[in-house]
Amino acid sequence: MKNMVVVGVLLLSLMPHANGAGFSPPGKPTLTSCRSPEKETFTCWWEPGSDGGLPTTYRLFYLKENIETVYECPDYLTAGENSCFFSKNNTSIWVNYNITVVATNELGSTMSDPVDIDVMYIVMPHPPEKVLVSVLEDKDWPFLRVSWEPPQKADTRSGWITLVYEVRIKLEEKDDWEVHLAGQQRVFNIFSLLSGGTYIVQVRCKPDHGFWSEWSSSTYVKVPNYFHRENSVWILITTFTAFIFLIVSWMIHMNRHSLKHCILPPVPGPKIKGFDKQLLKSGKSGDVFNALVASDFPPTTPPRCEDLLVEYLEVYIPEERELMREESKHLQDGFLKSEGFASDSDSGLGSCNSHTLLMDNSGEAKETDRRTDQERSRPGAEALTYAREDVSPDMSSGRVKTWPSVFSPLTPYSSGPTDQPGAKQHCLSDSVYPPGSTSPCSAQDLGLNYWEFCFSSMQPHLTQTRSDVNVSDIGPERAAARQQSPAPRPTEYVEVQRVSEEDMVLLQPVGPGPGPPARPGEDYSRVKGVRGHNVLLLQTEEEADGRACEELETKGAAHKPTACSHGGLPAPGRAAPAASGYVDTAMFVLPSC
Amino acid sequence: MAQRGTNGSKVFVTVLYMAAVCSSVPIGDLLDRASQRSDKLHSLSTTLTQELDSHFPPIGRAIMPRPSMCHTSSLQTPNDKEQALQVSESDLLSLARSLLKSWADPLVILSVSANTLPHPAQSTISNKLQELQEHTKNLGDGLDVLSGKMGPAAQTVSFLPYSGGNDIGQDRLSKLANFHFLLSCFRRDSHKIDSFLKVLRCRAAKMQPEMC
Repeated sequence: MKNMVVVGVLLLSLMPHANGAGFSPPGKPTLTSCRSPEKETFTCWWEPGSDGGLPTTYRLFYLKENIETVYECPDYLTAGENSCFFSKNNTSIWVNYNITVVATNELGSTMSDPVDIDVMYIVMPHPPEKVLVSVLEDKDWPFLRVSWEPPQKADTRSGWITLVYEVRIKLEEKDDWEVHLAGQQRVFNIFSLLSGGTYIVQVRCKPDHGFWSEWSSSTYVKVPNYFHRENSVWILITTFTAFIFLIVSWMIHMNRHSLKHCILPPVPGPKIKGFDKQLLKSGKSGDVFNALVASDFPPTTPPRCEDLLVEYLEVYIPEERELMREESKHLQDGFLKSEGFASDSDSGLGSCNSHTLLMDNSGEAKETDRRTDQERSRPGAEALTYAREDVSPDMSSGRVKTWPSVFSPLTPYSSGPTDQPGAKQHCLSDSVYPPGSTSPCSAQDLGLNYWEFCFSSMQPHLTQTRSDVNVSDIGPERAAARQQSPAPRPTEYVEVQRVSEEDMVLLQPVGPGPGPPARPGEDYSRVKGVRGHNVLLLQTEEEADGRACEELETKGAAHKPTACSHGGLPAPGRAAPAASGYVDTAMFVLPSC
Repeated sequence: MAQRGTNGSKVFVTVLYMAAVCSSVPIGDLLDRASQRSDKLHSLSTTLTQELDSHFPPIGRAIMPRPSMCHTSSLQTPNDKEQALQVSESDLLSLARSLLKSWADPLVILSVSANTLPHPAQSTISNKLQELQEHTKNLGDGLDVLSGKMGPAAQTVSFLPYSGGNDIGQDRLSKLANFHFLLSCFRRDSHKIDSFLKVLRCRAAKMQPEMC
């Protein structure tokens, strides 16, 4: 039957127009939507097409699943214009409906496109009803309580339809809504309200698998003024804070000094002895650092020998300075041969009592001499050595020639004695007998490590005599040997190590130091021992092992020096420490004057 | 029918009281959980159908079988509210369980064919189908527990075999059409299950009227 209806409609539509005055069959209608508010009934709406200028009727036909019968819409009126309402009796759920709308006028009919619907998918409830909003107080902070009822038609009690709700609120004058999902409950609280504000509240609902309903009508609510109470609390807090701030700032002000010390500790001043802060502040740094320079350093007055552990060597070579100036001109960049210094590693200061140092120094001196000779042979070799090296080449050579002996030339040495005491002040003892004094000095007076000479007017000629004696005594072979002796050695001092009871003086070579310029390159003999009151057993350099010895008489007495017949030493034990030392024979005066 | 319904509701209430006396989980809570699961299940099936519809050829709808061809259509279920509210709780539960069990095999077939489905959203569909299977299994276990608490009448399950075979189609169009058809059948059945369980939930919530 349906087919016949369809065919008939098609034929009608194909029939020619009754008259061609602009009339036409109706346009195709369109089913816009079908909705069920409670899952029990549903309504379908359509949109009519053009009516073609003629009165057009619309009919809705539907097919149910598994049933071949075409049904027409039972109710065109309840739902309004262009609608079809399906009542409860006509509504089946979980059943597929095939719905079609047909527009008919005199000229023809037009069918719409069929639509398949299932009631379970088209549920859209009515909005919630009886929306009530009340203002409640919660410890002086008001809040809103919104309550509502589900739409009347929706049967939630039996569980046929399950609804979830949504609440929205906004200030009357604003545009932004605040939306809250309320779930299945029917009451909702809203907090954080503006005091004195007017709010609009709306509610809507949705089935578990369906469409949202429309928003309920607006409910207006006014929140009472609670701002004054809020204000008083703030005033109290502000006052309290200001008060505390005042107290804290006053306390800081009272303790600002200690606070300043705590936060910014003062920079500790320099703890340098002799440092004058005032001078530094005045800005003259030169003065400040000059002040640091101790005026008594290095000590010009010789300290006591016991005070100093270092030996102090005095250099007196007036010509030295000129030579030094010459030397400095030749100095290469940063090249300072300090081998001379090496031997004087303590800058000329050695231990008064240190045997080893003295021995080392003497040994080094020998080497240094050789070395310095070699250096001199090298052109341009600079040797900033102390005076003895510099001075000796010029003079020593002459002197050596003049005095082919171990002993250094004495002529220049004649002036030496006057310097001698000064030069001899190696231990710088206060008890040094002044030169030229006639005070008797006995061996006992010596209590110092000091070889002291009583200088008398006899000295110069004494030395001369001695030197004569030396020359005459020493045989030519010896002289030759002496000539071949190695490079002139610097003047060395002897210091008495100890005075024995038998009037024996133990000598110790003093560290090689620059001797007086008068006597560079002098050779010295090693004291082998002392015999008797006025006899010193000397060792020649070559015979350091004590093969031969010489006797030298002192005191200017015309004692003929008798050759040492014995190789032994009268006091071998005592001589041993002096074995490595040299004695300036020219200085040789026993303290028996 | 109505008499049976009232008698059934009385029995149900008695059972509920007895259940309340026991220290086990009350039936109301169990039904609440079950209905939440069924809600999720239906939402998943709806999403799946929409995914499939996004790239579905219109001609496919023409060749799609009619919904009455679902393999579960033979099961008699209430078609409106009056009918549904007259069904006893045990029957409602039995119906729900029967429907659920009838979809165990077809879902497997669906998930297998989803791997080779000629559809642009094939991977998403496949994943969602996996989820669907899990939820179905969970719900089935829960309903089995419930049925154990609700008496022997709830234990009866109708057998609804799937006769579609293992293959859902040879060519691309028939594959898609059959896939879509099966999913729509499942969507409807999941909605039925959900509705029945929610009715049961509200019936069991006499002591808690705020739930319904």
